[in-house]
Amino acid sequence: MSWQLPVMLAVVLAASSSDAALWSESELKVLRSLWIGSLASAPANPSNRYADDPVAAALGRSLFSDKRLSANKKVSCATCHKPSHGFTDNLSTGTGVGIGTRRTMPIAPAVYSPWQFWDGRADSLWGQALGPIENSLEHGFTRIQVARVLATRYRSSYERVFGPLPDLSNSNRFPMRASPVADGRAQRAWAAMSPADRHVINQVYANFGKSIEAFERTLKVRPTRFDRYVAGILGAPVRHTLLSNSEAAGLRLFIGKARCVTCHNGPMFSNAEFANTGVPARLGSQPDTGRIDGARKAEADPFNCKGAYSDAGDRQCDELQFMVLDQPSQLGAFKVPSLRHVGQRAPYMHAGQFASLSKVVKHYDRAPKAPRGISELKPLHLTALERRDLLAFLMTLNDQSATTTNTQKGGSLDR
Amino acid sequence: MANSENFAAKLLSAFALIVAGMLIAATLAPAAGRTSQRNLDLSLERVTDQGLFRIQLKSGLDPIQISKIHQWSLHVTGPDGAPVTDAKIAVDGGMPEHGHGLPTAPKVAPTDGPGNYVINGVKFSMTGWWILKLEVNAIDGRADTITFNLVL
Repeated sequence: MSWQLPVMLAVVLAASSSDAALWSESELKVLRSLWIGSLASAPANPSNRYADDPVAAALGRSLFSDKRLSANKKVSCATCHKPSHGFTDNLSTGTGVGIGTRRTMPIAPAVYSPWQFWDGRADSLWGQALGPIENSLEHGFTRIQVARVLATRYRSSYERVFGPLPDLSNSNRFPMRASPVADGRAQRAWAAMSPADRHVINQVYANFGKSIEAFERTLKVRPTRFDRYVAGILGAPVRHTLLSNSEAAGLRLFIGKARCVTCHNGPMFSNAEFANTGVPARLGSQPDTGRIDGARKAEADPFNCKGAYSDAGDRQCDELQFMVLDQPSQLGAFKVPSLRHVGQRAPYMHAGQFASLSKVVKHYDRAPKAPRGISELKPLHLTALERRDLLAFLMTLNDQSATTTNTQKGGSLDR
Repeated sequence: MANSENFAAKLLSAFALIVAGMLIAATLAPAAGRTSQRNLDLSLERVTDQGLFRIQLKSGLDPIQISKIHQWSLHVTGPDGAPVTDAKIAVDGGMPEHGHGLPTAPKVAPTDGPGNYVINGVKFSMTGWWILKLEVNAIDGRADTITFNLVL
């Protein structure tokens, strides 16, 4: 009996070292590039000088789940971006005061992306946060109402970060509802305001977004079984795990024959770009134009990196400065989403067109013609077993614990 | 005793499986790392299509990182080696095998030294075969093009 334990240990060691030997040098390079250990800290955002301010983050954290920021007082950011569900939901399209047209995206990976929304029409998280608030199907709110909620509920924490709030008591100057992009009535009220007053409100609204971004930057992506497997292969001093034969075969397909890694690359499993992959249109609607219009919207957005409310200098907006415009390949192109935790967030694609990951894999295998524009996909000719292996691998990217934040929870907020 | 023998036999077959796995992996490995192997000219110092200019191209980021905006430097001379200054140079490119262009729209600007230029805003969003197409328009009216290949 006494020899059995060392022999069994030897078997375990042999198994893990042979696991490294299963991969070629170039494959090991790819595995390392996908590993969470290769993830740098969140990239700086020069357009938001409060991006890493803990008081702004605490304010943003409260605002994120405040239902007062909606037309019916029932919708907050957290209504669709549910903290208990990886900051997304399980619906085909986001549902706020109405039913939206796009699938809710998770937030933690978005911190690493230069473009937000499925069509990249915002170039920062703070710019993104301002969109749903005034969308009639999401919060159905207006920016001047946001300023009023801040003034009545969050004055001291807002002023600690951003300085004095404007005096909004004169309702002739500052109507109760006003926005340049919401419904017609709100737009008329906005148009009647003086340019100086509009600027004051825009500034508060931008700061609102900046505090939301500060909170979002505290959200972390956690290591998965895939990461522990790669850690083992690389001999990293963290917890290790082995993959089943099917999972490892799926990983080999992911970085090889199935060519997933060409777009789903880096530790977020996304190159943060846009691709037309021939996804069918949302049921009962025209095919979406995607990035080609998203890029034009980003360029025109007054809350972009080069706008009056950005804290970035002239040379700090490279993504916007060198943004591609009006290329035919952008038609029907959508953001390449992160695949981290992908098995836990059905349905899939930009409008939840596929109910299961298995349907997604079948789509990429078949590579059908795009409903609009030209698909980049080519058929993969996977066998049923290969599709199963690929699915088994994708499940190793699941989060095995709830997403948490490193924000201090004891902060007092005047809400 | 019988159990121990059984265990030893299992051990042996486990090792045999591992060795077999390693052999299979060794034969499969080259397929996974493949990109376009089509005898691409990967030289970054070449003469343009009509022979009007000689161009030297160099990445400011070595090694090139995926998804990171960076600069390239560009040195343009005539075939005789005389620097070509104040040329207008346009950059285009993309991935021929994927049917998409560059993820950014890089812009060329002259920089210090005769015949020197910088390409700002270059980004590659994935590994694989990329092309960078340059169109050079000199102030004396000479115009030529060239396509460089990169495999990342």
